[in-house]
Amino acid sequence: MMVGPDKVDLKVVLLGREYSGKTALAHRYLLQKFNPHMNYQTTVGAAYGARKFEVDKQTIFMGLWDTAGSERYECMSHVYYHGAWAALVCFELIDRESWLRARHWANEVMTRGDEGCKIYLIGTKADLVTEPGTPRKIEYATAKSYADDIRAKYIETSSKTGQNVEEMYCMIAEDYVADMAKKTKGEN
Amino acid sequence: MAAEISNDSPSDEILQGSEPGASRNSMLLATDSYDDLASYLSDTNLSSDRDRLSSGSISEITHPTETESFDPKSVISEEVGPEVVENEINEQLENSLDVSASPVDEPAALATSDSDTVTERIGLDTPTSQLSELSTDHSQPEACTGNNSDEQEEEVEYVHSQEWRQHRKHVFILSQSGKPIYSRHGDEDRLVTLMGVMQALVSVIGDGQDLLRCITAGSHKMVFLIRENLVLVAAARSIESMPQLLLQLTYVYNQVLSVLTLSQLSRIFKQRRNYDLRRLLTGAEKFFDNLLNTMDRDPCFFLGAVRCLPLESSMRDTIAQSIAQNAKVKDLVFAILIADNQLITLVRMKKYFLHPLDLHLIFNLVSASESFKAAESWTPICLPKFDSGGYLHAHISYMDEECRSCLLLLTVDRDVFFTLSECKEKIRERLVKYKCLAAIAESVDQNGYKTSQVGIPELRHFLYKSRSAAQFSCPEYEAPYHTADQRDRLFGLYQFLHHRIHSSSRPLKILFHVGSHETLLGWVTSGFELYAVFGPLVTKSAAINSVNKLLKWIKKEEDRFFILNSPTF
Repeated sequence: MMVGPDKVDLKVVLLGREYSGKTALAHRYLLQKFNPHMNYQTTVGAAYGARKFEVDKQTIFMGLWDTAGSERYECMSHVYYHGAWAALVCFELIDRESWLRARHWANEVMTRGDEGCKIYLIGTKADLVTEPGTPRKIEYATAKSYADDIRAKYIETSSKTGQNVEEMYCMIAEDYVADMAKKTKGEN
Repeated sequence: MAAEISNDSPSDEILQGSEPGASRNSMLLATDSYDDLASYLSDTNLSSDRDRLSSGSISEITHPTETESFDPKSVISEEVGPEVVENEINEQLENSLDVSASPVDEPAALATSDSDTVTERIGLDTPTSQLSELSTDHSQPEACTGNNSDEQEEEVEYVHSQEWRQHRKHVFILSQSGKPIYSRHGDEDRLVTLMGVMQALVSVIGDGQDLLRCITAGSHKMVFLIRENLVLVAAARSIESMPQLLLQLTYVYNQVLSVLTLSQLSRIFKQRRNYDLRRLLTGAEKFFDNLLNTMDRDPCFFLGAVRCLPLESSMRDTIAQSIAQNAKVKDLVFAILIADNQLITLVRMKKYFLHPLDLHLIFNLVSASESFKAAESWTPICLPKFDSGGYLHAHISYMDEECRSCLLLLTVDRDVFFTLSECKEKIRERLVKYKCLAAIAESVDQNGYKTSQVGIPELRHFLYKSRSAAQFSCPEYEAPYHTADQRDRLFGLYQFLHHRIHSSSRPLKILFHVGSHETLLGWVTSGFELYAVFGPLVTKSAAINSVNKLLKWIKKEEDRFFILNSPTF
């Protein structure tokens, strides 16, 4: 579905290391499904999609940027998170390296992103944690306490099972509506 | 096999300007694929190389009036303005001139007598002691100087493995300090020692104020392309000639630039000579793989020409109009519609032209990336011939559900994604309304045209390139060239024919070659290049008669096969 930029209420951007599951999250978002047959594809540049949410009888259009995780795009990344209401910083629960990158990204958004840009810390591939051979590398408490420190929300998701994915997007839409309500109240 | 070479032109020579596909107003830069190579081979001034490299410049578009100052917001290459980059590059080039401006022999003469021993060392055994003797460079790859012997043994074994050795063509990219960057086959991490040897060879020859170009060993050719920061090596046992392999390496080098830009590449290696470039190239391996695979079967690369999707010219005009009228956006440089690695239309900003090489890289970007099929994308891309110093920004989207035709809108402004997204939607609506997408789908599904349509029974296949339009046309691959093996063989014949005609030591206008399976006729004039394949029993005069007939047929169909006008915004 194509939604023009004028109709889009909020923009969110997926950030994180390559292979951390951003595109799978974006697919869930646009098509509400996970394609297990899809081979891993590196995103080139960034892909964009928009979707409608219903919150308290209000219709919200949310545009989502799925960015490439490769380092060479890093110098370009502010093009994508410029004007974003929220940044979804992703890391694999089973990979320490991606966790370190996620912390780097969170810092990046805080220092270079728009003022007031919300951060959601997303632990991905939660289904793999219970599988043999892919032990959890980042404890829930570790991630949660870091998220609290930077005043971010923390969610663990699995695009494969759908765990928390739809909930996460709805939560963002709800947070946005609440945020806007607070702002208009403040203005009055 | 008997080769008969004639310098007589066929009877009725066609006047230049009236050959099929002649274009007075081409949207593509008409250069010979070997032009750049010639400058590399004749070892001319590298800084003039830089001038010829750019057909346009991003700074010119962003600052049409004053090129001296720049607004950091609209500058393409991140921190550094294009002007600064330019100076930096020129400085570097001047510095590097001392090293490379040395007299160099004819490439063929470089197949020196001791090349065999060198190759043996590469192919068979590479003890580290020899390596350090060979190399005079201080910044050797880490793994070569001191690592554990187990790893090295494994590495050597790997290079010896049948599986790795049987590949027909290897291509490697390494940094000037010998760090592995890419290997076409196998994991480059396991080729550290081998790449160290390559670096050593380049370095030893370079010390003698020479440039290593080619090593021939039996049926193997090893061709080296040495650039400021990178060394590219092709090792092949194939019919391909040294200039043809060198051209392929040039494409690979330009693919690196397309991903990183020359300014970024220079900056990185200026800061750290030992930088591991793979960090910046993650995810780009597929571009190299796809490019190399395509170069093994698509003649567009050695022809330096683009193939157009056959369409009625009125339909093509409608498509171009739909795009030109709905993409009136400031700073939009090119709008390109492609399908199945063929050009449908190209609308350009007045004054700016696209080089076929850049267009090939765009084709490669699209055909190598599955991710564009899922959602509309926004990606930086450097077109090295247009401006190697900075990125253009490409809005990329497929026009139809089946992902046949892909639209690219290229701009210098990185903040106009949503504007272009709206343009794209309007364009798509028009293309649907005027049934353009249906016409494109029909042409793609039809898979071009058949040789039999020409009406020359003995003609099996041909390639025709209009030099002024930088476009070529060829029929579908039918029996006996319908199998992959036979098609590869035919491709080799074309490469052979092309090489013989363009041979630098003895260029030919026309070549009639009788082989055991087919007869080949190559004919090159200032207006066109024609390579035709006949059955084995065709006589020379019959073949010449046939190509005259063929040219008339192409002329009749030229509006369908070529884009002869050049729409602008």
